[in-house]
Amino acid sequence: MKNGFLVFLISLVALGGSWCGFVLAPVSQLGADKQTTILNSSDPYPIGRPGEANQGLQVYRANGCAACHTEQVQQSGVACDVILTDNGKNPSAVYQACGASGMVREYRAWPVRLPITVVQGVNKESADDAVDKITTAGGKAEIHIIATGSDIARGWGRRHSVAEDYLYDSPVQLGSLRIGQDLADVGARLPDANWQLIHLYAPQSMVPGSAMPPFRYLFQVRKIGPVPSPDALNLPKEFAPPSGYEVVPTAQARELAAYLLSLRADVPLRDAPFTQPLAVSKP
Amino acid sequence: MSDETKSNPPQPSDTGPAVMRSTVPISIILLTLLLLFLGMVYFDHHGGWFDSQVYGPYTSADQLESYQPRSGEAAILAQGKARYEQVCGLCHGLDGLGKPGQAPPLAGSEWVDTKGFERLTHIPLAGVNGQLSVKGQMWSLSMPAMGAAMSDEELAGVLTYIRSSWGNKGGPVTADEVKAARAALGTHPQPMSGDQMSKLPE
Repeated sequence: MKNGFLVFLISLVALGGSWCGFVLAPVSQLGADKQTTILNSSDPYPIGRPGEANQGLQVYRANGCAACHTEQVQQSGVACDVILTDNGKNPSAVYQACGASGMVREYRAWPVRLPITVVQGVNKESADDAVDKITTAGGKAEIHIIATGSDIARGWGRRHSVAEDYLYDSPVQLGSLRIGQDLADVGARLPDANWQLIHLYAPQSMVPGSAMPPFRYLFQVRKIGPVPSPDALNLPKEFAPPSGYEVVPTAQARELAAYLLSLRADVPLRDAPFTQPLAVSKP
Repeated sequence: MSDETKSNPPQPSDTGPAVMRSTVPISIILLTLLLLFLGMVYFDHHGGWFDSQVYGPYTSADQLESYQPRSGEAAILAQGKARYEQVCGLCHGLDGLGKPGQAPPLAGSEWVDTKGFERLTHIPLAGVNGQLSVKGQMWSLSMPAMGAAMSDEELAGVLTYIRSSWGNKGGPVTADEVKAARAALGTHPQPMSGDQMSKLPE
């Protein structure tokens, strides 16, 4: 063959180049990823899934859940809110500082109960600027970091998914099609195991109009014995079995529900920062 | 014969098809260079230079750093409150009033609501064993070193929280101050008796 060496060289460069881009670069970037800590605390993240939930990952995989569900929250940006926490000694000056440059929409509504959001959805420089103005006027304000994006607006998570979220998953069930919801944060969104089980048995009973097929074979419909099973599902009438029968989840259904509850991506990390609202009790 | 060879295209030789030598238009070369340049600019702007922490909406480590929630006074208090309710509140109560016969109150306690906090910092780090008077009442205590396992920041948050809640007016405690107290106690602090505690400066 003429120019054989040249063809070999060009293929080598083309394949080698893409191998470097798709394999070498990600491994050098994330290959040594390890357990980290939750932002502003010493709690480790992620913690391995409990055994039942780990089994549930295999049930999730076996039933092809990833064909319709993703486990990756996307984030398009980050925004800052400025919260006024203290009026200081000269409230009118602070209000004026907040009102300056149209930071507060309803300026006339002062005085208000604190804390109150005075600036919403701006970038870091504007937020720092606003805090500076308020501090100069003698008040106190703090900046809340908020992740933005259509997934986050849907309530599918507080931040985007990061590599650490999948650290102990094998295989990782990223998914690529969203016929159903994204499940990266479903354990925080729907933390009730019974809800999950009923939804698996009869999705339409919990979400009217849902396109999800029922997974009845993960449950056992059986005659009620001398003592009704304490695990029997409490189904609405139109989905309930004939009287004298009960629906009991199998071990697989239980594992799958445990796995779904273990899917949580709701803590701030260094590479995905956001401010958790203060869990301060109201007086 | 000679006319035919002139009108027909040249016959392929037996060495196979040959590519005619021709030059690439300069515009294509320039376009390629421009695309390469724009690609590098994009990579420079969005790549984060293989920092495993930088991706997504963030384009550089500096930018990511600027978006870290600052641990201001409110954040420290919130962390301290969360930790208190998780660990200390089980005995001392979410309202800081303590549990009769088991844990003395923190609200208005002369051990908590003090100007200094050296003595107070030693209590969770070392634990207390024995008789201790709190708010005019004698308590027989055996408190384990609950704060020994907390980080300096966490313990500082908890102490700041108990010193500024339920009517207490003590000042904040910083992580550095907890660190100093921990260093002063050594690696294996023994639970202190009430007498020992009383001898410590406030």
